[in-house]
Amino acid sequence: MGYEPLVQQNPLRVLNIGKENNQMGLVMARAGLGKTALLVQIALDAILRGKRVIHVSIGESIEKTKTWYGDILQLILQEHSVTRPHELIDMVARHRMIMTFKVAAFTRSRLEERLNDLVLQDIFRPNCLIVDGFDFDATDREALEDIKNLTESMNMQAWFSAICHRDDTRVSPTGVPAPCHEIDDLFDTIILLKPERDATIQLDIIRNYGAQVEGGKGLRLDPTTMMVKEM
Amino acid sequence: MKKDLKKVRNIGISAHIDSGKTTLTERILFYTQRIHAIHEVRGKDGVGATMDSMELEKERGITIQSAATYCSWKDYDVNIIDTPGHVDFTIEVERALRVLDGAVLVLCSVGGVQSQSITVNRQMTRYKVPRIAFINKCDRTGANPFRVAQQLRDKLDQNAVMIQLPIGLESDLEGIIDLVRMKAVYFDGDQGETIRIDEIPAQLRDDAEAKREELLDAVSMFSDELMEAMLEEAEIPETMIQDAIRRGTLSLELTPVMIGSAYKNKGVQLLLDAVNAYLPCPTDVENTALDLEKDEAEVVVSNNPEDPLVALAFKLEDGRYGQLTYIRTYQGVIQKGDTIVNSRTGKKAKIGRLVRMHANEMEEIDGAGSGDIVALFGIDCASGDTFCGGGANWSMSSMHVPAPVISLAIKPVDNKSQINMSKALNRFTKEDPTFKTFVDHETSETIISGMGELHLEVYIERMKREYNAEVEVGAPQVAYRETITQRADFNYIHKKQTGGSGQFGRVGGFLEPLEEGEYEFVDDIVGGVIPREYISSCDKGFQKSMVKGTLTGAPITGVRVTINDGSFHAVDSSDIAFQLASIGGFKQGYSKAGPVIMEPIMKVAVEGPSEFQGGVMGSLNQRRGVIVGTFEEGSYTVVEAEMPLAEMFGYSTTLRSLTQGKAEFTMEFATYKQVPKSVAEELIKAFEAQKKEA
Repeated sequence: MGYEPLVQQNPLRVLNIGKENNQMGLVMARAGLGKTALLVQIALDAILRGKRVIHVSIGESIEKTKTWYGDILQLILQEHSVTRPHELIDMVARHRMIMTFKVAAFTRSRLEERLNDLVLQDIFRPNCLIVDGFDFDATDREALEDIKNLTESMNMQAWFSAICHRDDTRVSPTGVPAPCHEIDDLFDTIILLKPERDATIQLDIIRNYGAQVEGGKGLRLDPTTMMVKEM
Repeated sequence: MKKDLKKVRNIGISAHIDSGKTTLTERILFYTQRIHAIHEVRGKDGVGATMDSMELEKERGITIQSAATYCSWKDYDVNIIDTPGHVDFTIEVERALRVLDGAVLVLCSVGGVQSQSITVNRQMTRYKVPRIAFINKCDRTGANPFRVAQQLRDKLDQNAVMIQLPIGLESDLEGIIDLVRMKAVYFDGDQGETIRIDEIPAQLRDDAEAKREELLDAVSMFSDELMEAMLEEAEIPETMIQDAIRRGTLSLELTPVMIGSAYKNKGVQLLLDAVNAYLPCPTDVENTALDLEKDEAEVVVSNNPEDPLVALAFKLEDGRYGQLTYIRTYQGVIQKGDTIVNSRTGKKAKIGRLVRMHANEMEEIDGAGSGDIVALFGIDCASGDTFCGGGANWSMSSMHVPAPVISLAIKPVDNKSQINMSKALNRFTKEDPTFKTFVDHETSETIISGMGELHLEVYIERMKREYNAEVEVGAPQVAYRETITQRADFNYIHKKQTGGSGQFGRVGGFLEPLEEGEYEFVDDIVGGVIPREYISSCDKGFQKSMVKGTLTGAPITGVRVTINDGSFHAVDSSDIAFQLASIGGFKQGYSKAGPVIMEPIMKVAVEGPSEFQGGVMGSLNQRRGVIVGTFEEGSYTVVEAEMPLAEMFGYSTTLRSLTQGKAEFTMEFATYKQVPKSVAEELIKAFEAQKKEA
């Protein structure tokens, strides 16, 4: 389709996202460090590979989420020359659906209902689910396992974001901070966003595909654009 | 003249279709002694309810025009504005809310909060209107006022507190328990006109106590004295509770919920008592105007009869005696013979006849004061105009007018209809800013646009009945556009030199797509190859070419034309020659510039119960829509999609049947997008055929 160069040049390729379908990923960071930006870039990477993404935003509006995609897409277009930018923008719009929920309204059954609506009506068959804003503080293991079962049954990859709090220093034996320290085994890939001295944000890949990763792979978020860069 | 402003109530009765609003209003008028017989709304005995002053309304069983009526209940002057519940008549509801101080939200005890109630509620909140809820039709099978009260809390975010309980429900509805007085109320007599107060039936005593506790808990927030009395477990006088309820209601933080059945004559008088007790008087509400002398600085209207007149014309009606203008005074007094000024036009007007309105009857009066709603004869103005007296130059803030979303082409069947149609359209557009018309001179079709298909249907009916103007209704036209997608060169000679004076001009340059904007002309001519005086001729020629595209005759947009070459003839070059050369050059370049057809894309939001969303998304998908996303509220879902306008006609009917009328949609223009190939081919074919015929 002509977007292979974009995919190949994407720094995220080192994560090998999308190679295996059933994968639960987690992006953790303190507030404001770029979780949404990273999730959107992961989503766009999937879309460029031809996948269809459902972006669930809890507590945010459709408009705001759309703006995230628009802005980041513009940055990608600026960096790489694309012959027909409008076509790319259109393609992205057709491969992505946004679902927003009020915090209290997000449950596995509602999510399943909405997803089924799409599939049964043959409107949209998602391969990848992004869940931004899930309240890990208020959830239990069972709820998360439930969602994992749902995504596996629908053959979907899933990516979550979780907020860490400065004053909660609990950590799992494998280095995953609260509030996910007790459910980290449910995830295949876990990325921590950590601020560095040089004002960039490091992507600390704690785990990838189940295997523990030592030392990360030198990926950063450029704080001015929130785009992933190799260092 | 009067009167204690504290005893004036300007209220509206607002709700979903068929919640029994018009019957309720009719009962109110009966009990306040304004009409002498109760007629069923649908005209079983041949006479329709007094409020529905138009034939059409009687036939369809819906209310179209808002009618204002005056009545009096227990020493209070009450002005009631009956407002339509259908989403297509939003402008009527908005206008009414602008001039009212309080409202009664009517709900059906079976259907509960429905999509239109949500819209109406939103409007009431926007205009900060305190409201009482009246759960009507408690005599119907399936009546469940408790569930409806809960819906008020869940779906409309209201702090809804029941201040009454039913004695029996459905066909067993006998009376109402008043939780403030802790008494049972029965409505005796053929028309429920005799009120009988009694003790609460033993078997309902416990429930009543429990509910009263809830009520007191909820309203104690608004009254320190009440809070104290409760803590001290002292006797709580009725007036203390009523005060607290009033305070809560006026602050918009409480919605008292009442119940009844207008049809069965139960609860209406109590509702009137509540209107007096809990809804605001004109001085309880702050209204602001804009001072036109001070750069539109905000000023508060005083409601003081001594101050200069400030009044808002909120409804116009064209009748046999000329234009009837309904006004609400916010300040000062208005008397026969006074001179007032329209602050929008600056024109003066002298007040001739002044009347107080009752649905279809008029009462002549000499004057009216602040806070009143009356009507003037013979004043020429538009809806939304402000009138001032005594040197004031203020304007009430402009009313929020939603943009029209749908248009239809209409063609009068004969000449007579043509004339009558123009008269009708003239009047309708003056009364209703959301109804717009314009004439497409090429097709000689008149295009009317409005808030929805029903909105336009009703006007077409009215044109027929009231103005004898019969029209053919065509399929709605979509405003297509054409544009180019790539750069193309042109080099065109216009030559007519066959003896005598001729014409000559050559223009060379290129067309390219223009990202932002409709048209741009760039003059890159050097060395005078085209004389200065003919450059603007070229511009003119190009602009003429933009009016009609070659693919489908639609206007062209988004083109930059640059000229950088040309030649002229000393004698034969002229303004016309270069215009024609440019037109030719444009045509030449256009066909090479990858021209495409574009259609308007609308941002559509469909809101309704979650259980129907699958079907809704399917229906949008079928209409070439792209679903952008969904917003989950819990009990209802909003689906946002980008839909081609061409596919949206008839959608309201589809949506209604898909969702049992429980969903509604809004539509606004988003952008122009290229049409798919199949659609383009059809449009081009149709255009070719049209050209052949011509």
